[in-house]
Amino acid sequence: MPDIDPTEHEIADLGPKIKDVDDADELREMLALEEDGEDRVPVKTLIEDRIEKVEAEDEGELDPETVDLTEMTVADIANMVRDVDDADVLRDILEREREGKERSSAITQIENRIESVEGSDDEGEDVEYVPPEEKYPELDHPTNDKQWVEGTAGAEYRDMWVFCETQAGELVDVSKEMLGKARDLMDQYNEDYDADERVVAVLLGDEAGDYVEDVTAYGADLVLYHEDDRLERFRHKPYTEIVTDMSRAGGELASEGHEDVDWKDYHEPRYTVFPATNNGRDLSALVQGALDSGLASDCSGLYIEEAMISNPAKVGTAGDKKEFERVLHMKRPDFSGFEYSTILCIDKPNRDFHPQGASVIPGSFEIPDPDYDREAEVVEYEMDLDDEWFEVGVTEFDRLSGGVDLTGNEVVVAVGRGIGDDPTTGIELALDLVDAFDDADLGLSRGVITSSYAFDSHVEQYVSEERQIGESGQVVEPDVYIAAGISGAIQHKVGCDEADTIVAINTDPEADIRDFSDYVIEGDLFEVLPRLTEAVERGELAAAVEASDD
Amino acid sequence: MTDHERYEAVVVGCGPGGAAAAANLARNGVETLVLERGVDAGSKNVSGGLIYAEESAPYTIDGLFPDFREEASERPVTENYIHNVAGDKVKTFDIGDLHHHDTAWADSVLRRRMDSWLARRVHELTRETGGGLLTEVHVTGLLREKGEIVGVTCEELDPIEADIVVAADGVNSELARDAGLMDWEDPDEWFQGVKAVAEMDPDVVDERFDIDEDEGEAHLFSGDLFDGVRGGGFLYTNEASLSIGTVFHLDSIAEERAEPQELLDSLLTHPLMAQWLGDDYHEVEYSAKLVPDSKKAALTAPHQDRLVVVGDAAGQMQAQGPIIKGMNHAVTAGALAAEAFADARSRGDPHRAGEFYEKKLHDEGVMDKLRPTSYRAVGKIGELGPIDGVANAVAESAVGRFGVRAAEGLVERAYNSPTLVSMIPDTKLPYVTLPTILGEELGERVTDENHVQPPELDDRIGDLTYDVGDPHIELVDNSFEASGTAVTACPVSAKDFGGGCYRDEMVQTNGHEEHLVSLDTQPCVECGTCAVVADTDWEHPAGGKGVEFEQG
Repeated sequence: MPDIDPTEHEIADLGPKIKDVDDADELREMLALEEDGEDRVPVKTLIEDRIEKVEAEDEGELDPETVDLTEMTVADIANMVRDVDDADVLRDILEREREGKERSSAITQIENRIESVEGSDDEGEDVEYVPPEEKYPELDHPTNDKQWVEGTAGAEYRDMWVFCETQAGELVDVSKEMLGKARDLMDQYNEDYDADERVVAVLLGDEAGDYVEDVTAYGADLVLYHEDDRLERFRHKPYTEIVTDMSRAGGELASEGHEDVDWKDYHEPRYTVFPATNNGRDLSALVQGALDSGLASDCSGLYIEEAMISNPAKVGTAGDKKEFERVLHMKRPDFSGFEYSTILCIDKPNRDFHPQGASVIPGSFEIPDPDYDREAEVVEYEMDLDDEWFEVGVTEFDRLSGGVDLTGNEVVVAVGRGIGDDPTTGIELALDLVDAFDDADLGLSRGVITSSYAFDSHVEQYVSEERQIGESGQVVEPDVYIAAGISGAIQHKVGCDEADTIVAINTDPEADIRDFSDYVIEGDLFEVLPRLTEAVERGELAAAVEASDD
Repeated sequence: MTDHERYEAVVVGCGPGGAAAAANLARNGVETLVLERGVDAGSKNVSGGLIYAEESAPYTIDGLFPDFREEASERPVTENYIHNVAGDKVKTFDIGDLHHHDTAWADSVLRRRMDSWLARRVHELTRETGGGLLTEVHVTGLLREKGEIVGVTCEELDPIEADIVVAADGVNSELARDAGLMDWEDPDEWFQGVKAVAEMDPDVVDERFDIDEDEGEAHLFSGDLFDGVRGGGFLYTNEASLSIGTVFHLDSIAEERAEPQELLDSLLTHPLMAQWLGDDYHEVEYSAKLVPDSKKAALTAPHQDRLVVVGDAAGQMQAQGPIIKGMNHAVTAGALAAEAFADARSRGDPHRAGEFYEKKLHDEGVMDKLRPTSYRAVGKIGELGPIDGVANAVAESAVGRFGVRAAEGLVERAYNSPTLVSMIPDTKLPYVTLPTILGEELGERVTDENHVQPPELDDRIGDLTYDVGDPHIELVDNSFEASGTAVTACPVSAKDFGGGCYRDEMVQTNGHEEHLVSLDTQPCVECGTCAVVADTDWEHPAGGKGVEFEQG
């Protein structure tokens, strides 16, 4: 008697039950019972279908340990081995194939399966890796000679590394911004994953050690630095070599002498962050390339989160979805900021893509308040630098002045072509007034900059386009804007119109500037400016201006 | 061999000449690339504003571009007058007969609207041939191989090779100058025009001129309006605006140290204008351009190697007294150049197009209109000092004046005679002396009060503010002697005005004072005046940079 007597069941609940019956004989008994009893056509069809299916499964089932491989096609073998998880069985199959037909494609299939079985976890989700040139032989593969550098798979990665750029004796702002962001990200990370991973600051230069305190104050747990006189200025080769070497220390690919370090016991960094400055862009691309990973360049946002991925290249099985943990989400502006993309750097089953690296646009993150009470582990990284790395040297350099930024001043004193009678004195008088204020600078109209005026050398340095106010120059919004000898053309107006208080000095009281000035002083700037300077020094002008705010 | 980008034809500039050439090339199946330096075709162009279709011309703009008159022009000109002004006395003649001579039609146009419409058609046509129209590309010169012109060089693109290069790059053509065909040497080869476009409701236009919506008027002005500077004024009706401008001989502007914007203001504020301008004058655009005088500047052989030159670039601008025709000749020349290339190509020798083009200009009578034999015979003699002086003296004498009074009808007939008009010498006599006498002797007093207050120059410039990029003009000699004329002659500069292109400055150096000129190209309208009257290195700004006319 079968376990289930179909005559005792409605067809609706018979369907699910019958699926558990795998024995064809038992199913035949059930069919006989039905025929003798109620003889319902749909029930008989259901049972017959099941019999057919069970018998087909029985026939199709090959025992990999005994099957005759010589009677199978390569495709059959590939299908069969896909279901075999036991590496020993696979080796036995491999052995038999070698003794038998010795088909290289079959051997590759079996070998790949062994590799993926042994390298995989017990889920057995991995698919074999087929190099693209084998998978798509009909296509060109222009990059197939560019093999990866490492080809590591399944290694251990930890920490967030921040390359801290210095320039002209100062830690650049973006380095502080990145440290602050890294600190926030890793604090959250350690909480979320109950981990203890660190922010690692990397410093290179001729006096790299000088910045250890700073980078600690801005959030580093571990500071790695290397000093060498030859590193005074950034150069691709040595900088890349050092950062790469540091990243590999204590891991599988550590260089000689760095196999065991007490500050690092993992393969490579989990995350790396570089500044998207000229030098940082160079370095980030070269280091990430050397470490066999990718790079999201010019990012403006970073966060760490899970990511559900369905790309078969990453997941290993077509159609599946898989959640990846601890993924650095790297947001970057596209099309001049009209769109944003979020870049993820995710391991493949057969190849790691770590460190997950980004370069960060300066100004994207806040500079944190430094905490000089913080403590960090400090490591001076010992390493010999190859002379060949310095074949390209810097023989001479010129540092461009940072330019003049007039936008942050409380007061801007601007002069125009009204200084024409004695341009040098005009600039001098304006500079005197600038000095009388606490926070002021000198602006110029376009007419002065494009003039043929001959300025004495001591004021000539001030006459450049850097100081131009107006449509094709700077737009300033100071508390007080003093326009001396400026007629107030529309192009100039747009550069100063937003100032709280505009004071015009002009011999022509009907000049256009009158229309957008709060005060117009009719007079020659050569007489008015010194008197104004005097008034400011006595504190009289401030009082007048404050009164005007009401 | 080089591996330059290559087209069968490259047309530089998409004004009427370039558009006609491109359209006709495309119709002949020639792969044609059109390069235009403005953000849009028409953004660099200014015209007084009448385009003619001549009965005798082999090509007309509406023949090449059907629907042109419906889509791209303003109003047909149905009435023509010339006003001879002496103080507040004015004598007006109807010159409709002169205007209608050989004229199929004439319409007023605004170039931004007109050229951008043409450009769309040109793009459609040339795209079919595998080419197309690219804007914001500044063609800087000629590409040569072994000394032969084989293409063009550009600021924004790599050099481009072609079997024919059509230089339709306007009055300041860099290509014609690169080829050595044109220069900026003699002020007496040029006119300078300035123009104001005043907004006006179509109903108001109809009412003030007493016309219907499908009618328009053209008025010319001469006499003592302009401080003795040789030239005249015009007023044309557009659909919803008026074009009012002045055109003067550049040598006269230079000699008299005249301020072009003030001469325009003299016209705008004359009592005669009150009836049309009313109390609500609103100027929407101030513009300027150089105009070649074809009698002296038109190239008799406008080609070299694979280069052919059409329109203003070849000096094809006919200005004889009250006749001012440019765009129609550019259209004819452009279309003939295309025809010449098609002929040359079908004979298996495409590089002979220039030669055929020159022949066609002569055979079709274009050259005789541009350089009339009657002017060469009579007009030129009239320009020689003593004779002109004598003629002026005669005209000023009582006998001369009596003659004028007695011969009023004769004068109107003379104005309407194309032959007589073509003989007019470029002297004070026809432009200033005679019209003034006509006004004084025959004119009626105008009693209207003119309330127009033209904008100041800085406001006019303010409306033309644009991105200058790198300065495109360099002052080679900044002494006042060499370049000081530009301070007054430049339409966006003025004496004692600090906001213009050219400013004169007294500069103390090492204890002695120098009179210098400084240049700021920010307000530049790219007219080319300073290239002629000052010592400069003059180029157009990069593609898409520089002046951007909304009306034109």
